Amino acid sequence: MQLGVNIIVLAAIYALIACGYVLIYRVSRVLNLAHGELMMLGSYLLLATASTFTGHPLVAIAVALVLSLCVGALVYLFLMRKMAGEMVLAAVLTTIALGILLRGVMVIVWSAQQQYPGQALGVVNPAIALPGGARISTMAALLVLATAVIYGALFAFLRFSRWGVRMRAAGQNPLLAAQRGINLHAIYALAWGLSTLTGSIAGMLISLDSGLTGTMVLIGLKAFPAALVGGLDSLVGALFGALIVAAAEISLIHYVDPLLSDVVPFLVLIVMLIIRPWGLFGTREELDRV
Amino acid sequence: MTVPLLSVEKLEVVYHRAITAVQGISLSVKPGQIVAVLGNNGAGKTTTLRAVSGFLGLDDARVTEGNIVFKGMRIENRRPDKITHLGLVLVPERDKVFPNLTVAENLAAPVAHRAGRAERRRREALVYEFFPQLAALKGRIAGLLSGGERQMLALGSALVGSPELLLIDELSLGLAPVAVESLMRRLVEIRDGLGLSILLVEQNASIALEIADYGYVLENGRLVLDGDPKRLLQHQDIREFYLGQTTSGERKSYRAVKQYRRSRRWYG
Repeated sequence: MQLGVNIIVLAAIYALIACGYVLIYRVSRVLNLAHGELMMLGSYLLLATASTFTGHPLVAIAVALVLSLCVGALVYLFLMRKMAGEMVLAAVLTTIALGILLRGVMVIVWSAQQQYPGQALGVVNPAIALPGGARISTMAALLVLATAVIYGALFAFLRFSRWGVRMRAAGQNPLLAAQRGINLHAIYALAWGLSTLTGSIAGMLISLDSGLTGTMVLIGLKAFPAALVGGLDSLVGALFGALIVAAAEISLIHYVDPLLSDVVPFLVLIVMLIIRPWGLFGTREELDRV
Repeated sequence: MTVPLLSVEKLEVVYHRAITAVQGISLSVKPGQIVAVLGNNGAGKTTTLRAVSGFLGLDDARVTEGNIVFKGMRIENRRPDKITHLGLVLVPERDKVFPNLTVAENLAAPVAHRAGRAERRRREALVYEFFPQLAALKGRIAGLLSGGERQMLALGSALVGSPELLLIDELSLGLAPVAVESLMRRLVEIRDGLGLSILLVEQNASIALEIADYGYVLENGRLVLDGDPKRLLQHQDIREFYLGQTTSGERKSYRAVKQYRRSRRWYG
């Protein structure tokens, strides 16, 4: 029972992070390898707002969320926009450089020590007993809930809202989208903003659950196999990919060796790349462009 | 003389900073006109249309000489979305719809510049009025449409942007003659109904000249002929190269055509 709960929680973490990879890839064909760092930046932003807005934790959280949305949009406007029209590889390399830069800046500003945004905010994180004897921490339960809500919202946004439809249109054919009057820069900035926002929500909830150090980047990187296993351009795929990677990781930790934790996602990734390189739900032709 | 809606003067377009695709092309479209641009493959028709409708950074192309004036504004090297907002909308030759979106979504995606909700609904309704077939296909994925339906959807999604000038690249490509004829008729209806102007690029010379008010002929990136469609249809070169007829009624050999082309270049 506890094993199942652990799988669900880890899958929710991976899914919530993976949707950020998918959003940006689907719209602009760019693989954002700074996603883990941007997610960690979101958690540090929460730490910063927690000590600034001491009135109510929700105020601090709301401000941090808005800030992370802006960070994503600004990264596009000031950095990635210059890459539009360049080779995709150049853009991907830029995200790697951005990631390294962000990591350095975060260590300088917030030090490499373990920090606890939960304490700073004054929120408690009691364990909840579930039927069947399993336990889940409040923040982990919130994380599962947040993932469900965010995926629901993203599906509704892409399916029913005009901007969501435009986002899908731009992903399919940027030139035609521009010829239909759609401002591509606005669409890409929105994708980067949403991606960073969802990643930051994951980062904040993880740090509220178990504290915040520089190793969080690794979680972001481990979510990448989840996105790729599902097929990089599919949100549904990211959900299933997260579930598969999480199930493999938790069961191998449980039955074989806890030290395998960091290796398993990439093992799954390699197996997937050998048998079905375009992922479970990905579009097959997309692969030619990677 | 009426002021042209669009005027292109001595246009020169260079790809990848090295390859000149068109050179010294001038043409103009007056309000309410249907203007046809004819030419073979590689004549520079599509490049001219793309220059007018705007390049993306990805195209790595630029207008290096000449100017493009639309409604009194210089628009060369502006972004495609900005040009669309001005009322100049392109229906491209290939990839003219979003294949993974439904018909309804294809009509929802275009930006209707400065249009409120009601105006937007009116325009979408108008598309279904001009193309009743599309109304029955609202939920269908555009990639599953037939060539003719796809062309209607492409025209429809261009109309949502409320264009004053519609640029159409190869309307007839890959369609059955009956479908082309009905589309051309629909085009004239749209022109008359909405009072817009159309710049039509075609390989199918006879059908284009039939509905056009004026015609241009491009060859190898240069303008070689222009004039009244009726006069163009009588022109010996047009009859030979585009309609495949000779004055004596028999087809010329490839060699004769080649010879003729070479001599044409001297006085063309």
